[in-house]
Amino acid sequence: MTRQSKDPNGTLMMSRRGILLGGATLFAGSIAASLCPTLSLAAVDAGMQGQFMKLSNLLIQHQLSPAVGARIAEGATAQYKNLPQMLEAIITIAEKNKATQVEDFFADIPEGELKDFALWVIAAWYSGSSSDKRDATVFTYEEALTFKTTSDILTIPSYGISGPNLWTRPNLPLSAPMPTF
Amino acid sequence: MKTVKSFALAAPLVLAATAPITASAQEFSKELIEKGRYLATASDCVACHTNHEGGKPMAGGLPMASPVGTIVSTNITPSKEFGIGNYTEAQFSDAVRKGIRGDGANLYPAMPYVSYSNMTDEDIHALYAYFMQGVQPVDEKSPETNLPFPMNFRASMMSWNMLFRPNEVHKDDPGQSAEWNRGKYLAEGAAHCSTCHTPRGIFMQEQKSLNLTGGQIGAWYAPDITNDPVHGIGSWTQAELVTYLKTGKLENKAQAAGSMAEAISYSFQHLTDADLNAIATYVRSVPSANAAGTTGATRFDKGAPGNDMAAFRGKDYADGLKGDHAGAQIFAANCASCHGYNAQGTRDGYYPSLFHNAATAGDNSINVISAILNGVDRHTEDEHVFMPPFGDQTNAVVQLTNVEVASLSNYLLAQYGNDKLTVTPEDVQVIREGGPKSNMVQMARIGIGAGVTAVALLLASLIWYRSRRKTKPALSA
Amino acid sequence: MVTKTSADVVIVGTGVVGVVIAEQLLDAGHSVLMIEAGPRVSRAEVVENWRNAPLGVKGDTSVAYPSRPWAPHPMGNEKGDEAYLQLSGPDSYAQTFIRYAGGSTWHWAGTSWRLTPEDMRLKSLYGVGRDWAFDYDTLEPYYVRTENKLGICGPSDPALQWPRVARSAPYPMPHLPFSPGEERFTEIARTLGYNNIPVAQARNSGMPYDGRPACCANNNCVPVCPVAAKYDAETALHRLEKKGATILVDSVVYKVETNAQNKIEAVHFYDQHKETHRIDGKLFVLACNGLENPKLLLMSKDDRNPNGVANSSDQVGRNMMDHPQLTLTVTTKEPFWSGIGPVVNSGIMETSQGSFRSEHAGAYFRYNNFARNRFVTFAALKKGLVGKALDEEIRRMTACTADIVAAHEVLPDPNNRLTLSDKTDWLGLPKPHIHYDVGEYTRKSAEVYSLPIGKRIAEAMGATDVKISPKFNQSKHIMGGTIMGNDASNSVVDADCRAHDHENLFIPGGGAMASTACGNSTITMVALAIKAGDAIVDQMRGA
Repeated sequence: MTRQSKDPNGTLMMSRRGILLGGATLFAGSIAASLCPTLSLAAVDAGMQGQFMKLSNLLIQHQLSPAVGARIAEGATAQYKNLPQMLEAIITIAEKNKATQVEDFFADIPEGELKDFALWVIAAWYSGSSSDKRDATVFTYEEALTFKTTSDILTIPSYGISGPNLWTRPNLPLSAPMPTF
Repeated sequence: MKTVKSFALAAPLVLAATAPITASAQEFSKELIEKGRYLATASDCVACHTNHEGGKPMAGGLPMASPVGTIVSTNITPSKEFGIGNYTEAQFSDAVRKGIRGDGANLYPAMPYVSYSNMTDEDIHALYAYFMQGVQPVDEKSPETNLPFPMNFRASMMSWNMLFRPNEVHKDDPGQSAEWNRGKYLAEGAAHCSTCHTPRGIFMQEQKSLNLTGGQIGAWYAPDITNDPVHGIGSWTQAELVTYLKTGKLENKAQAAGSMAEAISYSFQHLTDADLNAIATYVRSVPSANAAGTTGATRFDKGAPGNDMAAFRGKDYADGLKGDHAGAQIFAANCASCHGYNAQGTRDGYYPSLFHNAATAGDNSINVISAILNGVDRHTEDEHVFMPPFGDQTNAVVQLTNVEVASLSNYLLAQYGNDKLTVTPEDVQVIREGGPKSNMVQMARIGIGAGVTAVALLLASLIWYRSRRKTKPALSA
Repeated sequence: MVTKTSADVVIVGTGVVGVVIAEQLLDAGHSVLMIEAGPRVSRAEVVENWRNAPLGVKGDTSVAYPSRPWAPHPMGNEKGDEAYLQLSGPDSYAQTFIRYAGGSTWHWAGTSWRLTPEDMRLKSLYGVGRDWAFDYDTLEPYYVRTENKLGICGPSDPALQWPRVARSAPYPMPHLPFSPGEERFTEIARTLGYNNIPVAQARNSGMPYDGRPACCANNNCVPVCPVAAKYDAETALHRLEKKGATILVDSVVYKVETNAQNKIEAVHFYDQHKETHRIDGKLFVLACNGLENPKLLLMSKDDRNPNGVANSSDQVGRNMMDHPQLTLTVTTKEPFWSGIGPVVNSGIMETSQGSFRSEHAGAYFRYNNFARNRFVTFAALKKGLVGKALDEEIRRMTACTADIVAAHEVLPDPNNRLTLSDKTDWLGLPKPHIHYDVGEYTRKSAEVYSLPIGKRIAEAMGATDVKISPKFNQSKHIMGGTIMGNDASNSVVDADCRAHDHENLFIPGGGAMASTACGNSTITMVALAIKAGDAIVDQMRGA
């Protein structure tokens, strides 16, 4: 169960910074594991999930659902044999740069396997899928971050936006602020 | 909630034999007729005495299923042949306040004469003027109601009336404000709040000692509206209660469904702000007999947004329905499209959140189940709120089974509402059938205690049938 | 388990055409048995199928409707020999439809443009195509009944209505409001002299209708309305059953049996265990879409009907038509924010009419109102952006890209033909083979008419980039395969959609349409169905 604040956009109550910087990521990972009994704990242990969430929070400065993170970590485990090493390697680069945001260290991730993996993690969070193909694994639909970037004006398709015929609104300029998520 | 509908007037009226004097020879003033029209609105006559699917106002013809057969409401237009056009004012007064119809027979208290008995002579006069000269006579016979034994013991109502019918019109309490007194007069009389919100005793009489502390009415539960801060509506401001009565909803708190939706649609929204404030003033002064210094979360502020979709998203729907996540999966598939994937509702509040919502956090699970099975239909000046049903109606978006409704209810209660409640498929079946049946049905059928039992049976079924009506397809106007 | 083997009227197919006729007949007191090839599923399942599909393939409606082995329908991941539709010709007749109870209105947009009087007289007015067997005035009352039956909303202002001829009754609901993108598109179109008007659509607008809720802009009409605010035939199935209809599902009709008088005697079907069954009745309606109907008729050939049932004219399966469409994907500087409201909500129809129709096809332009996240997310990700730059790029591309679609008419051409393939499906039944060429009439429109207009619109929108589909795509509006006409020698059904060859066989729907015009076909299919329903009720009364 992803518990969230009363914000109608459904943003997480957890402090982003707390997750980003603290050891809370480990905790979040274990929570996710306990909240997602459908996941095999043997396949994805809490420590791995904690590392995965730690990396995710370094790559993406938004509030991330531990439950969705557990699903993506599960997919990563299946897809990447040397996942622990890659997590460790990228986290090390970030820490070396004393990174608080992805822009601080992303350029330092070497091209090739590591960078591809980092981009895969980002793509998984934004698209909710493991790829753009028909056989992709789906981790989430509703919490895919792409929808958060437009949540101030667009609905997530299949979810209603307003009462009947009450969706008329002025056009929103590109200068409007990015939603907080 | 106003739910109990006219039963007795539904029975064919035989007026010719009594040959009353010409009823309304006099010409009533426009002002008087308008006053009567307003009182009729406050009394919500139209809710029962009109077939809302194409019928003419007050011409009856609204079919209402009951455990003993279908009752059709009667024509109360001034048609001399088919309505009440031959009623004298005294006959009219007796029907409204005493439950005695023109030919002297007793009405059944589905017609809320127990409440209306507090109405002043002056207001009865205005109502009479309206019904005689403000309502278009409709010379159409409303369909006959034919009920079997033992529903024909009207005489037995006399003893019930002796025990339970108040016979006094309202008298102002000099210790209270004029507004409070006006509110009491309306709330206890025309608006007949207690008809649903006060629990019933063994003879189906209102238990005055538990006034407004809540009662089940068919498939729905009319909740505690005393000023108890936890179980009642003591946490509401005056303005909030008035808003609720005017619009049928209070964002992030509650919304009217079932009979209360009808009361809002046909009655409360049309009352003056002064009268709504008066009703609110009075209702907010009614203490709970159950009050015991309770503290804690009210039914209006339990629960929080969230979802459980990570458990099944991307997998087969059939897998999602298995195991612990069935309720979450049913919620996602059937509820979230309008109420939001975190149950947060829409930003404009049209689709309410399912947390901070009296429907999911009441002291019992009746309204969760009933909202799922029966949906919501409520119209006000500004909007027509319609949630489709998920029972076995022809317009159910999905026909959920008892097991599915129970599973969904348990998810909603646990995640967004009163997590101390659980629902079984059997509970769902009871609501599907329109609420619990009185065991007096059985007693009456085997012929025991035809007197009081029959009365009680009648009353039980009258309370009951209202909800049955709700289970038929809710066709749009 | 088949417990009922006979009825007054047997209807093959449970889509909108079959459902509307079934209700007419039930209301007239006849017993009705409906036979559906595919499964009956709940809306809940379809909605969740779609949500469970990967973001990259959500545009493929088939992800929400996996076909059953015994009732194959086109699936987006099947190609070549394994595909259900076997295709040939210069253009691809790659349709989407579904064999589920409720039929393909499950995933229609709800767009309900009427034909114009001119659309029904192409031969007389422009010397091309065919005239209809009757005129617009004959069809108009059936349009009104369709609009009330399905709950079609539309503008009350005659200046915003289509076609521009007087209506005999108003729409039962007002039109839906425009999104900011549609407002802007309408303003821009007006500067070029075009009127972008509200689509008449089978969607509950501002109010519940027929016991179904009002639209709350879930922006998901295609592939499924999650709340049934859009009419689809599934919403009627339970009501039909309460009225007494029997609905058999997972039952694939493979043969229409004729008797010595060359009347229809029975239909035969396979159940999902490959067992065969026979259902007889007094009158038969084939309502299993414009592609399955001709396939079934061809499969049913017998000694009396060597070309197939209802096919003495040799027109069954010929004249296959659609609305070939070209999409202009436009990137703009200013935001349009597609995606607020229903997925298709406005259109320019006047470009479908004109004297040019003696030379080339007309076209209807629409601004697609799908939320664009799913179209742009992977493109933005592939740019390798991260952090704030990624967020801003997704947001910009979602706001500042739009699809303008030009949907064209085609002419009936006997060479555009459905035949039985030598490839077979799971039951061993032949797969349909369709040869298709949109024709010079339509190609010329794209060259000299529609694409030039589309480009002008794109330019007026301030396009910085325009991508045009390299070939015609299909609109999934299957028409023509059992074409209507007064002359039994070159048409399959008469003006009531009754087979010329068999007095107790009706084949209503899109297959009967003698011209396509440019607007979506469902409303006309249903109007024809209601007209056929009246004729059936009359005929049954005489029987």
